[in-house]
Amino acid sequence: MHLFSKLRRKSGGENLRTSNYSYVTARVRAMKSKLLPADTYSKLLNMGIDEITRTIEELEYKQDIDVLARQYSGADLIEHALNRNLAVTFTKVLNMAEGEPNYLLSKYLKRYDVWSLKTILRGKHYNASPDKIEENIISAGKYSFDFLSDLANKDSYTDVISALENTEYYSILKQYDGTNLSDIENELEKEYYKDLFISVSKLKSKNSRIFAEFVGAEIDIKNLRTLFRLKMSGIEPEEIRKLMIEGGHRVKMKDIESLLPLSFDEFLSAVDKYSYWYNFSDVVSSEMESLIDLETQLLKQNVKFASSISHVYPLSIVPIMDYILNKKIEVDNLRIIIRGKSAGLDKEVIRKQLVI
Amino acid sequence: MAVEDVKPTRSELLEIKKKIKLSEDGHKLLKKKRDGLILEFFDILNQAKDVRSELDDAYKDANNKIGIAKSVEGTITVNSTAFSLKDYPKIHLQSNNIMGVVVPKIESSSVRKPINQRGYGILGTSSYIDEATDAYETLVENIIQAAEMETTMKRLLAEIEKTKRRVNALEFKVIPELKEARDFIKLRLDEMEREGTFRLKKIKKS
Repeated sequence: MHLFSKLRRKSGGENLRTSNYSYVTARVRAMKSKLLPADTYSKLLNMGIDEITRTIEELEYKQDIDVLARQYSGADLIEHALNRNLAVTFTKVLNMAEGEPNYLLSKYLKRYDVWSLKTILRGKHYNASPDKIEENIISAGKYSFDFLSDLANKDSYTDVISALENTEYYSILKQYDGTNLSDIENELEKEYYKDLFISVSKLKSKNSRIFAEFVGAEIDIKNLRTLFRLKMSGIEPEEIRKLMIEGGHRVKMKDIESLLPLSFDEFLSAVDKYSYWYNFSDVVSSEMESLIDLETQLLKQNVKFASSISHVYPLSIVPIMDYILNKKIEVDNLRIIIRGKSAGLDKEVIRKQLVI
Repeated sequence: MAVEDVKPTRSELLEIKKKIKLSEDGHKLLKKKRDGLILEFFDILNQAKDVRSELDDAYKDANNKIGIAKSVEGTITVNSTAFSLKDYPKIHLQSNNIMGVVVPKIESSSVRKPINQRGYGILGTSSYIDEATDAYETLVENIIQAAEMETTMKRLLAEIEKTKRRVNALEFKVIPELKEARDFIKLRLDEMEREGTFRLKKIKKS
């Protein structure tokens, strides 16, 4: 994943009154047309691993596979190539954008920085080798691979945290004492969404409002997912409250407050009044043992929402986000198929995980 | 004990008779122990079969769940999340006594943890990771249970084998040899008595 470090990343601190939405949306529309059509996945599902690998090699991922072929093989090669392509594509879109879209996108893609920082801290916590940590970094955000690699090569987590002293993450990271990793991870996630929301709220344009709606929908889904996971495990309301993210689009904090004290059965009856309910009512019941189907439905809902508003606002941030989301879905779907096949999963099990 | 080595004396006969009695008592006891151990073994064997089939199911389930997690979330996510889990399950070994056989009793703690105490953050992970972790916690519990059962079975089997060898040795070697020695001494003593009587008669005649 070294290539990302060579790509120049435009910072978000440009003149926010300028924008080139017409140019970027035209480019991403062209890029979106190159994404795989839905029926390709059904065809791939009927192929063997070698055939799938060959098909993927003939797509946009050829260059990534060629670069990584010396290092990896089999399903590992495909997965790393897919991740590399994802990072390169996101960086490309980020570099196309100027002014406001660049600012919004760079804020959104900071999730990959959070991911990489979490991976580095986890690796240091586990005493994993720098090579192992580097293998699991996705440098698709603000930080370059070289910077993240330097962090991975630090001797201890205290050195990693010291190196991040001038970043917005330091106030959270300095609370890490070697035992509270999960709390730090949760706080980093919450800080990401808080920062995203505050950054978007600062802007007064129509685009920022649409983007806020998009982010709000994602927060709704994240909160619902957390509620389902923790309610099903019987975690105390106080603990759940700490993990709720503010800024939901349709499920506001006051709604969440009313859901918190309810038992799992009562919670299920209470969530059916939300507009999301019809999307997952058929996979939810009080006897449910797995949340996997629900998670897939929630993800599909998120993609559907982005696609629906991208047609309404053709010259806005939404088509760009729609492309970013669809590109991520394509990479995820290809990985689901190749990994699922190599793990010997049933075809129907794989199909159920696909977001088509 | 070869018959030729036996001294045909009355005291030796008494000694051998005592040994026969002791061996026969020992043989009866060992037979009872062997039968008891076999009963105990079959009892544990049935439990072990259930545990082993649960272990197989848990292994298949864990493989399936980690396969789904790796495909949906990616191996990168699974590997990164695994880094945050540093605690190993704690295992306490105690011993149990089954008819003189010392078998292990394995108790485990910190295998199963609540979702919010596993070490990874909730907000950055998903149900795919939760369910794979759950499946592996169940698998580890099953492995510990199977280890206890199967070690118990191995020790019982070894003890049954040992007891069987002792029973057979007593039944087919020690006791028959002692009986042979006893019969030999009896024969010799009877003969010596007859010789003595004959000698006395001869002396009386002359």
